Amino acid sequence: MLDTLQLMGQGFISALSFVNILAMAGGVALGIIIGCLPGLSAAMGVALMLPLTFSMPADTGLIVLGAIYCGAIFGGSISAILIHTPGTPASAATAIEGYQMTLQGKAGKALATACWSSFWGGLLSCISLYFFAPLLAQLALKFMSAEKFWLGIFGLTIIAGVSSKSIVKGLMSGAMGLVISTIGLDPIDGTKRFMFGQAFLAEGINTTCALIGLFSMSQVFILAEKEIKKRAKAAKFSDKITLTREERRKIRPTIIRSWIMGNIIGILPGAGASIACFLGYNSAKQFSKTKEEFGHGAIEGVAGSEAANNAVTGGSLIPMLTLGIPGESVTAVLMGGLIIQGLAPGPELFTKHAAMTYTFFAGFVLVQFFMLAIGTLGCRGFAQISRLSDAILIPCVTVLCVIGSYAIHRNMSDVVVMIIFGVLGYLMRKFDLNTAAVVLALILGPISEKGLRGALRVSGGDIGCLFHSPVSWVLIILSIVGIFSPFLMDKFERKVAGDENVDAAVQDETLS
Amino acid sequence: MKMKKTDIGVVVFMYAFCAFFYAYSSKLSAGSKTYPLFTITLLFGLTTLYLFQMILAARKYGVESGVDTVFAGFKALQFTLSLVLTIVYFFLVKYLGFFSATTIFMIASFIYLKVPVLHSVIALVAMNLLIYLAFVQFLGVRLPAGILF
Repeated sequence: MLDTLQLMGQGFISALSFVNILAMAGGVALGIIIGCLPGLSAAMGVALMLPLTFSMPADTGLIVLGAIYCGAIFGGSISAILIHTPGTPASAATAIEGYQMTLQGKAGKALATACWSSFWGGLLSCISLYFFAPLLAQLALKFMSAEKFWLGIFGLTIIAGVSSKSIVKGLMSGAMGLVISTIGLDPIDGTKRFMFGQAFLAEGINTTCALIGLFSMSQVFILAEKEIKKRAKAAKFSDKITLTREERRKIRPTIIRSWIMGNIIGILPGAGASIACFLGYNSAKQFSKTKEEFGHGAIEGVAGSEAANNAVTGGSLIPMLTLGIPGESVTAVLMGGLIIQGLAPGPELFTKHAAMTYTFFAGFVLVQFFMLAIGTLGCRGFAQISRLSDAILIPCVTVLCVIGSYAIHRNMSDVVVMIIFGVLGYLMRKFDLNTAAVVLALILGPISEKGLRGALRVSGGDIGCLFHSPVSWVLIILSIVGIFSPFLMDKFERKVAGDENVDAAVQDETLS
Repeated sequence: MKMKKTDIGVVVFMYAFCAFFYAYSSKLSAGSKTYPLFTITLLFGLTTLYLFQMILAARKYGVESGVDTVFAGFKALQFTLSLVLTIVYFFLVKYLGFFSATTIFMIASFIYLKVPVLHSVIALVAMNLLIYLAFVQFLGVRLPAGILF
């Protein structure tokens, strides 16, 4: 206990270094810009910025990525409130009440509510991160080869099933990623596999290039295929971006409820901020004493949605950091960032690399303060940026994709890989396949392979060894539940949001 | 839900993908191909399952093209040009150097996408500056120099 407290304290001291503070401020500002631009997503932003974190110390690199993540989730609310277009699907529910407030000349109030609620949602989510992450990491200590294999399968079933319109298509995407993950040298005996005479494939497909291609370059193609439309003008507002004490008191219970819900949603692999925002919004409406205000600019509606979607951030890091199961695409990209730094998710993060991990946690806490400050002070400026045309974004993002993938090994071959995955990602998105599942398979594939072959080697080729331990069975059952979870999740989503809202959110997600 | 004809392409692609990797895996040693074969079989099985789902959907609800939903609002020329420009940009980087190629690529894109001149200039300068500061100065990346600079 004392050790943990000491690590927490040291984490804050390290996180408060000049470089880390700069990383937090820069990351949050960048994240807000990415989030408030309709068409760019948090996952895309984090993927695009991955190469910039290579040369940074692991804790600083992760803080930058965490800051972009939090900033992007919050940033979506700015365009949702001012131009009635959610920057990210996570702010779809914010647009309902936020834009009504803007029409009534209360845009400043709506933005202040979004900032304040996002801050508390994010900050409180760190509590569970501190509390649950080390506990779950202890559990991961019990995992041997067979369990690691099943863990990989479980991770895939969750993300492949939940994030896709068709479960089978989601699983197909994951399986395709697993096949691609076998490209390169055999991890056990070093035999060349599927390298097609290309030496640069020896280490396998570079995950970062694949990430940039699947999330960022594919988005360029998605933007390029549509008519370039002029964005609506961001509403000008003259009211102050502040909340009165009375208003803060009014939204306090909503924030607490949304925090709890958002946090649980975050911890559950597969569910994400887009579900949480509707859940938060609906519970705010349900418990409100002034239900009649909903639909006409209810401050509690904005608070409920924003606190919930930001509460997801801390929670979603827990399964990723401890078990290596990213629950959604952003955390899958963040996991890529972790692996690039030479770190593996699991117990070692809380033992061998505890100092780094707790610095990251402390950074994640401090990022929320930066989000509040930068969000409140910079709202007007970010509102103007949110109008940036797709015609400017298309070439700019392309250039960033090319330079980002080149910078990894200073090799043009990586750019080729990125472009191939960009085209693949575009086609996958067009035909309702799941790009996040491919990324996850690229990350989990080698872990699963080592697990499977390690277990088979120890047992002398007896496949029964995969079914011996109780932990394996738990993971098998969870995998089966994972496959069928989309049915439950779909029902749950429709129940909390109403069919109309869910359809709109799904449409937004598809567009982004 | 009706079966989409466009999904036939998905199934054909997946089978071709499996066949391609399966053919290549025959050259591998027994130990090396255990896991790839497991993943190929998994993909093959799931694709076949999806094919059955499609057949059932076709029998129960009928068949629809799917092209109109998948490619709704598709700007073929704009998309093709963006793709071609990206590929040309890749080769330009190799032969002209990064900054020259980026400038040419961005100007060509802005002209085609009808971006106002002032916005184009600001975006062009900002991007080159950002890349120079972030990648060359901060990360110390030596960008391809090419025949220009």
